[in-house]
Amino acid sequence: MSWLSRLNPRGPGTRTGRHAAPSSPCTADPETCLMVFENHWRQVSGVLKLRESSVGGYADDLTAVRNHTDQMLCLLAEESPAGGDIESPAMGPILEMVVAENILDELVQWHLRRGLDPDSQLELLKLFEMLIGQSHQPLLLHSAVLQPLLSLLGACVDPQLGCSASLESSLVLLLNQVCVCMAKETAVLELIFRCGPVQQGSTNLLIFSLLVPFIHRDGSLGQQARDALLLVMATSASNHAVARHIAENSYFCPVLATGLSGLYSSLPRKIEVRGDDWHTLQREDWMGVSSLVLFMNSLEFCNAVVQVAHPLVRCQLLDYLHNGFLVPVMGPALHKSSVDEMIASTAYLDLFLRSITETSLLKTFLRFILLHRHDNDTILDTLLTRISSNSRLCMVSLSLFKTLLSLNCEDLMLQLVLRYLLPCTHVMLSQRRAVRETDLYGKSADKFLSLIPECCQITAAPSSERDDEPAFWGKVLGSPTSESPVNPRPSTPSRLALFIRQQSSGGQANPPSSGLENAPSSPRGTVSSSLSPDSPMHQLQDASEGETGYLEYLRDARKGIELCSWACRDWSAPYDGENPSPNSALPQPPPPMSNPSLSMVQEHFSIMDPAQQRAAVVAAARAEWSSSDRDRGEWDVTISKNCISLTPRSKKRSLLPSSIPLQSSSSTSVSTEITGAVKTVSQHSHSAPHPALYNGMGQVELTDSVDERMDVKKVKRDSDVNNSVVESGMNGSMGMCPVDYNDFHVGSSMKSSQVQVKPHLQHQTAVPSSTQECLQSESQRSPVPALTETFTVPCESRGPESVERLIEELLERAPSEPLSSDSKCQGISIEAFHQELRELEERVRERRVLLHSSEESSRESHTATAPSLTDEDCLPVETEQRASETKPDSSAPGVLSPARPLGQPLAQPYTGPFITVLFSKLESMMQNSLYVNILLTGVVFQLACYPQPLLRSFLLNANMVFQPSVKSLIQVLGSVKNRIEAFAAAHEDFPAMLRKARRFLVARGKLDWSDSPMGVPHLRRSDSLIKSRKPSLGDLILRHTNSPTRARHAAQLAFAHVRDGGQSLHSALFRGGAVSGASGLEKQAEALRVKNAVYCSVIFSEFLKELAALAQEHAVALPFPPSQGTEE
Amino acid sequence: MNPFWSMSTNAGRKRSDGEEQGGQGEQRSSPARPSFGKKQLPSIPKNAVPITKAASPASSTQSANGTHASYGPFYLEYSLLAEFTLVIKQKLPGIYVQPSYRSALMWFGVIFIRHGLYQDGVFKFTVYIPDNYPDGDCPRVVFDTPVFHPLVDPVSGELDVRRAFTKWRRNHNHIWQVLMYARTIFYKINTMDPLNPEAAVLYDKDIQLFKSKAVDSVKLCNSHLFDQPKIDDPYAISFSPWNPAVHEEAKEKMFAHKVSV
Repeated sequence: MSWLSRLNPRGPGTRTGRHAAPSSPCTADPETCLMVFENHWRQVSGVLKLRESSVGGYADDLTAVRNHTDQMLCLLAEESPAGGDIESPAMGPILEMVVAENILDELVQWHLRRGLDPDSQLELLKLFEMLIGQSHQPLLLHSAVLQPLLSLLGACVDPQLGCSASLESSLVLLLNQVCVCMAKETAVLELIFRCGPVQQGSTNLLIFSLLVPFIHRDGSLGQQARDALLLVMATSASNHAVARHIAENSYFCPVLATGLSGLYSSLPRKIEVRGDDWHTLQREDWMGVSSLVLFMNSLEFCNAVVQVAHPLVRCQLLDYLHNGFLVPVMGPALHKSSVDEMIASTAYLDLFLRSITETSLLKTFLRFILLHRHDNDTILDTLLTRISSNSRLCMVSLSLFKTLLSLNCEDLMLQLVLRYLLPCTHVMLSQRRAVRETDLYGKSADKFLSLIPECCQITAAPSSERDDEPAFWGKVLGSPTSESPVNPRPSTPSRLALFIRQQSSGGQANPPSSGLENAPSSPRGTVSSSLSPDSPMHQLQDASEGETGYLEYLRDARKGIELCSWACRDWSAPYDGENPSPNSALPQPPPPMSNPSLSMVQEHFSIMDPAQQRAAVVAAARAEWSSSDRDRGEWDVTISKNCISLTPRSKKRSLLPSSIPLQSSSSTSVSTEITGAVKTVSQHSHSAPHPALYNGMGQVELTDSVDERMDVKKVKRDSDVNNSVVESGMNGSMGMCPVDYNDFHVGSSMKSSQVQVKPHLQHQTAVPSSTQECLQSESQRSPVPALTETFTVPCESRGPESVERLIEELLERAPSEPLSSDSKCQGISIEAFHQELRELEERVRERRVLLHSSEESSRESHTATAPSLTDEDCLPVETEQRASETKPDSSAPGVLSPARPLGQPLAQPYTGPFITVLFSKLESMMQNSLYVNILLTGVVFQLACYPQPLLRSFLLNANMVFQPSVKSLIQVLGSVKNRIEAFAAAHEDFPAMLRKARRFLVARGKLDWSDSPMGVPHLRRSDSLIKSRKPSLGDLILRHTNSPTRARHAAQLAFAHVRDGGQSLHSALFRGGAVSGASGLEKQAEALRVKNAVYCSVIFSEFLKELAALAQEHAVALPFPPSQGTEE
Repeated sequence: MNPFWSMSTNAGRKRSDGEEQGGQGEQRSSPARPSFGKKQLPSIPKNAVPITKAASPASSTQSANGTHASYGPFYLEYSLLAEFTLVIKQKLPGIYVQPSYRSALMWFGVIFIRHGLYQDGVFKFTVYIPDNYPDGDCPRVVFDTPVFHPLVDPVSGELDVRRAFTKWRRNHNHIWQVLMYARTIFYKINTMDPLNPEAAVLYDKDIQLFKSKAVDSVKLCNSHLFDQPKIDDPYAISFSPWNPAVHEEAKEKMFAHKVSV
């Protein structure tokens, strides 16, 4: 203190008389240092001057200079500030001298003049690094230090001198130090920025541009460079000029973004899958893959930059990421044709989405997924179709969607589901008000619970006795009691009391189950508990146990709902059937219906040919955009549908066309219509697959729907959607097996492609008048993708009320950048397809004329006995629609209104591709593998957590009356229930198998948990279920597959059990049959079938409990008030 | 005149709707114990008794398959919870309720009367919900201190709820309506078929005397405000005198919250 204060007065003095500084009084030590320094400098300067006069370097000179420089810089680095206040400390004497005589600059200049050899360059870099890193004074604030440093660095960029590999580490280290200083002294950034141009013509921010090439480096070098860059970013966040420079004059953003592309391309194309249940990339999975680690590092860096950088830089980076990485690299990668590549890219995308934390970056990704069109399809549509594909791809896709759902993003949900529900056309008119009702008295929950198949409510006692295993298992698990058959729950005197107790005690009350809920520490407890929760039917010890399971579900449901509604509290609308108004959304939702379903089906097929799939996907996406799209599309679609469906019926065709015109009505402008048509075309292709899905679920329904559709046709308006549906239905009835489709994906895809070709031909032949149309549609097809993209733009601008609008607005809200990028893309595509569009327009006009002429006749002939008739129908509809459209141009509602008067069902109740896929997948639960079912039910669970009345009522309100063509979750589950019961009835030992399946699941879960006690979720439900939902559980699954040592070992053990279990299941099944000479293959197939069915039964009953719990919790959930803007 | 009442339930949570999610946790479902306190008021519905009727009719139909019936209690509990959330969503002016700790069928409440004949009245009451809810009678409302009012029984303190809900219809009638009704009677006085004939007669014949009696009644109630709750329950609503050390912070929070909103 005293020392400082003594020196204090000296500060100003020295400043005023700099040159006198060396001689100024000083404490002994600094003074000595100064003298030593001066001494060194005298000698060095002697050499320097000598050098100047006589050209030609001598090694001796160099060595001498080096040695002296070493000493000098050490002295400088160790010097303490001479005093002064903290704000502006006085320079120490040595520094003053350095500044005054510009010593460093002379040194560096001498080196440069002399010609820098790598050796001395390295030396200098190290010296400076030491100087800057260790100095006690803010040296960089003095241009006498900064300038020589920049000169030196400039030499490193010098193309001749370059920066050899040996120098890299020193250079980066030095730069890192400089950046650290910069972070401490913000002014340094400004100085560097200003000094730059003088020294270095090329770039202002030399430091920055030097660092950029190292962004994607591996190892510590890259890490240092990234750290340094981040420091620059953070420091420049408040400096507009620097930020602008970075954005405009540096390659930072492009390098970062395109670097990601490069890194992505080196990722493994195929992910080696270790276990049946692998479905997502966890940290343990990718830590061992160096290329993935590299990529993730860079992605993490992007995330960090987005977090800290100036908005300008951030925007640019996001822009580049979208246009330089997502669109050109991820887009095609996701559309690769080989299944392995699809799996890999989907898993990567999922991983990226889970890793990103910055909202704006996340939005860029979502924008890409939602709005970017690759070959006409939005990424989302493509991904949707994959859900219906074979099991591995399906699992990866499901887990991707789980990730997406967990984002609670309004735009996403709008696009996925809500837009289709917004019009409320899926609900009977009289029921619309019920959308917002809550289920006060648990009727829905009751309904769900009642769907638990009787055969799954094992009367434990008899069945367990049957097989002696229980005891064995009990021992193994350490909880023999759990297995012991007890009489079914005694009717406790007071159920309510019981219930209450459990709730309050949180499971602690009853000793046996104490571990269940909260205690990871007791694996045994969990095991027993897991059994009990499985089912009330499990009648373990006592009724209470059974209910414990349900309590867990309630708790989960509550947590899920609360998290979700909290995350959704700032959504722009409640989505309660009134806000946004159903009318505003109406036009868009119905069209997508046919598309999505179709697309999904196609996906199965499309594994082989992605192009088709995409088209379908795209079509679905477009449906939203405008009805106009549909019109055109429908025409095309019909064709495609026919092809796909292979349907012999002319009726179908006719129906389809009619539906098309209806859609067209919505489109207002010619151009839009054209685009619409294009879209519809793509839709058509999708539609074909759609039927297959329907078939799988319920053929009977299909037939009904066909009839209905016929009626609808008369209506014309609604007929569009209906028609498509009908067609699909017809196809199904034609005798295709829906269920089988999933299994046959690959094969089917081949078929489908072939089929498609044929249909076109048929269509033309069948309908004379339609030939022109066909041609048109074909011609349109190619442009379709482009059109669709362009189309979206006009739509948005036009109808503020439209869903697109909403989405756009939402997206715009946060990061403006992404939008701009998107628009750019669109613009490009628009240009490209401009001509095509024009051509299309002309065609459309021609077509219209035809339509008009045929209108009258077409109306009369609804029955569609003749193929031509159907076409005609379509035509009239279109004309009508157009008329109506022209009026309402801007407003979607207007369009709708005209349609309504014409027909009853008007708006097609289409619930969207996502729901359609999920439901069709649910319907085929019996055939799905265990893991697919786990994931699938997890996704539905998550979807059902959303508090928006539209969604909630659709999924969970059992009292709602839907339009006949709309399948409800209850219906779907009901059909599964029936199948399970039929299966159980056909297999005598079903109860035994069921018990075994449960036990295996529990055992498997137990192993996992014992391995990692920390994450122990309770096994309460079938552990597998839990796993699917809970990240930790998911981890487990992954861990097995990938992770090292213990986890892996445990996993193997677990799997072994499962496998054994499976085999024993089979053996149980085939006890008699095994001996028989049935072919092994057949047996295996049958065994697999049985295994899936049995596991499905377990999952199914647990799933119903989950849904019931959700229904109950929704009734008591309170909405969260929107945040007050304090949050981002 | 208006003392700054500090009202607190033992559980410390009243209407938490305005609060952040934290409040919504498990408390929402009234945790309760199976056993009722030793001291039970006879008038209280016996919650400890098995409520077999509780399950909704739907569930009873299912009772054939044993597992299903076991969910009955959940339905009752959740129905009541749902009713409670409805109450919260209604944001009834001047009415606060809190389900008891021991039974979801008993709610504690308090009404603040802000103007009219009963201005400044703070009336504590208890709501008893029939255990066969929602298929039974309408809930009963009993004031802790019998208020001088034509529709309030001068002895038991019970409010005549039935006249407003002659038949309790599930889906149409909700408990918040009962609470609303309990508030309304203090603003719009009805003397038809009174439970307290004296009050009715006075109101019709001698409004001045009625007024003074009402004021007395308000005073009486308020004088008992700080009494221990009649029913011993952790969630019973109890009042305590203003104590800056305890309440100031909460008060400021409330006011600050209003401003920010």
